[in-house]
Amino acid sequence: MDLGIDEDRLASCVQCGLCLSSCPTYRVTGDETYSPRGRIALMREVQLHDAPLTAEVRRAFDTCIQCLGCEPACPSVVPYGQLIERTREHLTRERGRNVRSLLLWPLTKPRLLRIGSTLLAGAQRLHIVPKRLGLPTSLPMRRRRHVSSGTDVYLFTGCVMDAWQREVHHATQRVLEAAGLGVTPIGDDWPCCGALHTHAGLHEQGTALARRTPGSLDTNIPIVVNSAGCGAHLKQHSDLTVFDAQEFLAQHLDALPRVTPLDMRLAIQDPCHLRHVQRAHLPTRQVLAPFVTELVELDDDGLCCGAGGAYSIFEPDMATQVRSRKIASIDRAKPTCVASANPGCSMHLAAGGVTTEHPMVIIDRALRQS
Amino acid sequence: MSNDDELIKDLRKVLGDRVRVDSAERALLRRDASVFDGGVAGPICLCESANEVQQVMLTAITHGRTVVPRGAGTGLAGGAVPLGAPVVISLARMNRILDVDLESRIAWVEPGVVNLDLTKHLTPLGFHFAPDPSSQQVCTIGGNVANNSGGPHCLAYGVTNAHVLAIEVVLADGTVVMLGGLDAEPTGYDLRGAYVGGEGMLGITTKVAVRITPNPPAVRTLLLSFNTPREAAATVSAVIAAGIVPAAMEVMDQRITIAVENYVNVGYPRDAGAVLLAEVDGLEGGVELDAERIEAIGRANGATQVRRAASNEERMLLWKGRKTAFGAVAQIAPNYYLHDTVVPRSRLAEVLEKVYEIADEHNLAVVNVFHAGDGNLHPLLLFDGREPGIYERVHAAGSAIVAASLDAGGVLSGEHGIGIEKQAFMDRMFSADDLDHQERLRRAFDPSCRSNPGKVIPLGHSCADIQSLRSVPHEVWG
Repeated sequence: MDLGIDEDRLASCVQCGLCLSSCPTYRVTGDETYSPRGRIALMREVQLHDAPLTAEVRRAFDTCIQCLGCEPACPSVVPYGQLIERTREHLTRERGRNVRSLLLWPLTKPRLLRIGSTLLAGAQRLHIVPKRLGLPTSLPMRRRRHVSSGTDVYLFTGCVMDAWQREVHHATQRVLEAAGLGVTPIGDDWPCCGALHTHAGLHEQGTALARRTPGSLDTNIPIVVNSAGCGAHLKQHSDLTVFDAQEFLAQHLDALPRVTPLDMRLAIQDPCHLRHVQRAHLPTRQVLAPFVTELVELDDDGLCCGAGGAYSIFEPDMATQVRSRKIASIDRAKPTCVASANPGCSMHLAAGGVTTEHPMVIIDRALRQS
Repeated sequence: MSNDDELIKDLRKVLGDRVRVDSAERALLRRDASVFDGGVAGPICLCESANEVQQVMLTAITHGRTVVPRGAGTGLAGGAVPLGAPVVISLARMNRILDVDLESRIAWVEPGVVNLDLTKHLTPLGFHFAPDPSSQQVCTIGGNVANNSGGPHCLAYGVTNAHVLAIEVVLADGTVVMLGGLDAEPTGYDLRGAYVGGEGMLGITTKVAVRITPNPPAVRTLLLSFNTPREAAATVSAVIAAGIVPAAMEVMDQRITIAVENYVNVGYPRDAGAVLLAEVDGLEGGVELDAERIEAIGRANGATQVRRAASNEERMLLWKGRKTAFGAVAQIAPNYYLHDTVVPRSRLAEVLEKVYEIADEHNLAVVNVFHAGDGNLHPLLLFDGREPGIYERVHAAGSAIVAASLDAGGVLSGEHGIGIEKQAFMDRMFSADDLDHQERLRRAFDPSCRSNPGKVIPLGHSCADIQSLRSVPHEVWG
């Protein structure tokens, strides 16, 4: 069966196996069907040797978190992300309109999403939302409106994050303003970056959303994104100048006032799409260092936490196993708090009992305390 | 496959859903990191304890089946590929570091512990595990024991055998034994020593006591550029002759250096004909002196540039480049055949030139990256497996390289093992009598030839192996 993968790309893996340790699903299962090398070999079997697309083969592809930890580990620079994206896209098309696309549909309808999540927040307060859904423990009942303070930068606000974690947007805006920058939150004009769609195999929808730049946007103004997953997707698929929030702030760090650091031992969890895709995880350390008493690194070399966009909803068992490994690493570091620059990661970790904060929220708190 | 059904049913009694029998998984495990295809594997057993390994072995005995152990599947000689659909005993989930005793400098580990994970675990304690195969970020301690693995730093520290004190083994008859011990001078025959390098044919490792090594107080890493590999090889011989014992001395030729630099971007010179990565460690005063001497010897032998790693980050990146070199070759061609022979250091330059000639004669691309200090050559023949008739050419060139190495007084394998790759060359190295005794050693551990049959010893010397294989592989190449 033709998965539509370029044959030379498929041939670019020499099966050396150096990726295995960087793959979270291989790490927790020890099973080579759940490894990048294994998945590429299966793509070859299916596309080149007409191997049947059995339930096990599908499962191998479905369980990939697409963290892309394997890409920096690959000395032959195999574009694994593209290979698995193609494969997923093919499988999704073959399955037809499925539950996943229905679940993702509200993301492009910001008002509906907000009404829905307010209802969910109410239901949470009545204790009728099952815990196993892994939702954040207290979704907001109301949100403060976005207000523009100038046009030095745009702040991309997105879908779920704007509905569930708008406070992070406000904090990001305040920090940028403290550095002397005028910020315009983009809001509902560009409701979703499409990352979750691409992740779920809805490639065309995903890239279309990333390119659906509102006409009113001035393309000369940089766009700051404080969700690592969205930032990675926009950097890959839109033509605009996109920065991760910490990456951008690092260039303006001198403009921030010097304050008393918060007394905390802060561990940094690198979201995969910041570390492996944007490869811009180092600025997070740089911008946090002046604002906390102690920064500590985790000892798992940036292995994925298992959130993976909507992965933790679609593959809860594997996501939980992967998270357990991450939590064990966090426990060894003994932090008082974990900084995570991606809403999906922080929600997934919080559901596992970890105290997480967005780096911008921590900086904002330090600035406001003084 | 009705008797397979019974076997699977019995295996499931031991492991539940950790027995994998689907076509996808069985097809994947046809191979390791080499070019050899062993055929479809039997049931795959993801074991989590020595007891489970023992139960799986006993089940295999009941059903008259053979077994093959597998760690991360990064072997380069086909040692872990399944011949004749054996039961695969996967040890990847047995990955716990059980105990670290700093006072005695011993760590107990399970066989599935990744080599680099052990070193990372020990680093904050001031120690490391000395054998550092280039695949150390993925390869497992069990595989290191099975292949008596080396690595760049084994030049000064010795190969795996020197770092293993005791091994718990499930023998092919299902008994569990402890080979070796923690005492400095164990009494009796050194069965541990016989077992290390056994390539899974003497039993299945389930627990290992390894020696841990204190981190050196000072390290100097030098990168020397040369116009030709011959000059780099001559420098290596001269350094050893001068009485210096560097921790590591590694050479890469130009093509592989470029591929590596494309990946790590640390400033490996793209225009040098060869580079020598040399490292000295020990006490501050000594390493500085040795570094200066190596630099002088290098310049006397034609080094055009000598650079020192200025920081630990730079040093780690230089090593990352060297250690991932074999995986970087897909930038040049989609398939590789990585060779592993050892020649006397003094004849390194000469054999190296012969290797380039052989590749030319067979119209194949070759790159060389090698543990120069040990005289351990790693020529990589590069090709596109989709080209008709290519495997015959690669095979022929490989044979010629082995022959050239043996002619120069070398040996078949430095560290990758014999597996099925070098099996056919064994009788060029050993007499029939030698091979007979090797076979007797194997039979002493495994009279039934149940554990990893069909490897190492040439089939002509190993009748029982042929009997225990359900089908004799006739074409494992490609």
